[in-house]
Amino acid sequence: MVTIYSTPTCVYCKSLKEYLSQNGIQFKEIDVSQNEKELEKMVQISGQMGVPVIEIEGNVVIGFDKQKIDELLKI
Amino acid sequence: MTYDLIIIGAGPAGISAGVYAARQKLSILIISKDIGGQVAKKAVDIENYPGFEKISGPDLVELYQKQLKANDLFVTQDEVIGIEKQETGDKKQGNFLVRTISGKIYEAVSLIVTSGAKSKLINVPGEEEFSGKGVSYCSLCDGPIFKGKIVAVVGGGNNGFESALFLSNYVKKIYILEYSDIVKADQENQELVAKESKIEIITNARVARIEGEKFVKSITYEDVKSGSEKTLEVNGVFVEIGYSPATYFLNGLVDLNEKKEIIFDTATLATKTPGLFSAGDCNVSKYKQIVMASGEGAKAALSAYEYIKRTKN
Repeated sequence: MVTIYSTPTCVYCKSLKEYLSQNGIQFKEIDVSQNEKELEKMVQISGQMGVPVIEIEGNVVIGFDKQKIDELLKI
Repeated sequence: MTYDLIIIGAGPAGISAGVYAARQKLSILIISKDIGGQVAKKAVDIENYPGFEKISGPDLVELYQKQLKANDLFVTQDEVIGIEKQETGDKKQGNFLVRTISGKIYEAVSLIVTSGAKSKLINVPGEEEFSGKGVSYCSLCDGPIFKGKIVAVVGGGNNGFESALFLSNYVKKIYILEYSDIVKADQENQELVAKESKIEIITNARVARIEGEKFVKSITYEDVKSGSEKTLEVNGVFVEIGYSPATYFLNGLVDLNEKKEIIFDTATLATKTPGLFSAGDCNVSKYKQIVMASGEGAKAALSAYEYIKRTKN
């Protein structure tokens, strides 16, 4: 299960989503600017408030960190 | 494989260099951490780029991506940490070796550095500790998270004002803290900010520290005129005090000025190392504008093409 926590104005979030789609990875997207509960959850799992945050099978990656994401998703 | 050209960076200068080089049918590798550079973080619309009456940063980045694709250009997401030029022992020019943080080494006949600039830090206690925990360098990315909150924008230049204007769509109150006694933002931005009741400008404010527990709770500044300290309760601090050039990986291959900007030949965008060109905000050029970075990128690509043709023959 892959979840992306994002905001609508964040270009890096958009690049991340495109990257996953290009690689055929399905993900759930959460707009944290519209959902306070999910924002709290994002802050809790990542320990910070910057977007994007991506959760891959319980592993949390902050930012579009391609190397870590590739490693976790075996891209 | 040896590429004809490696372009380091994919902001306006890098994109423009790529498009021009692609039209010369060169083999090209673009290495960059992201696409769009500072354009991707631009908090208000761009209204001074020819052909576009008004376009947002993210929309322009999307067009960049489409144009790259149309020219069969791909960006390798990586970070360059070092460059060297091979010695050949004769009069022939050596190739460039580009090392990246992921441990890869790429080789090319010519290089264009369009690495741009990164956000300057305030360098005060609490800034690093609370980075991502209320301290942000991208209001466009993180601003919407601060809905209904109180924030400070550090820096009274155009970036600070534009950031405050964007944040005013979401937050309850914004303080702009400016170190000098006047703000440097241009007239248009000043007029827009003046109309926004949520924004309060505080000049003569030298940021002293950022404090909080898990997240930012306050920012303290010294009034440089009176010497007294004042603390503002804020949930977020957006740092907008400008950019410093990303030229640390060039290891003596170029001459830098005191701001660490690359000194180049204005006619060709060549640096002191043959085959190494530079364009955009990493350069000494006085005005840092999208249109100027794009122009320099084009010029550097055409110069690089001539160099590659000469060197390979």
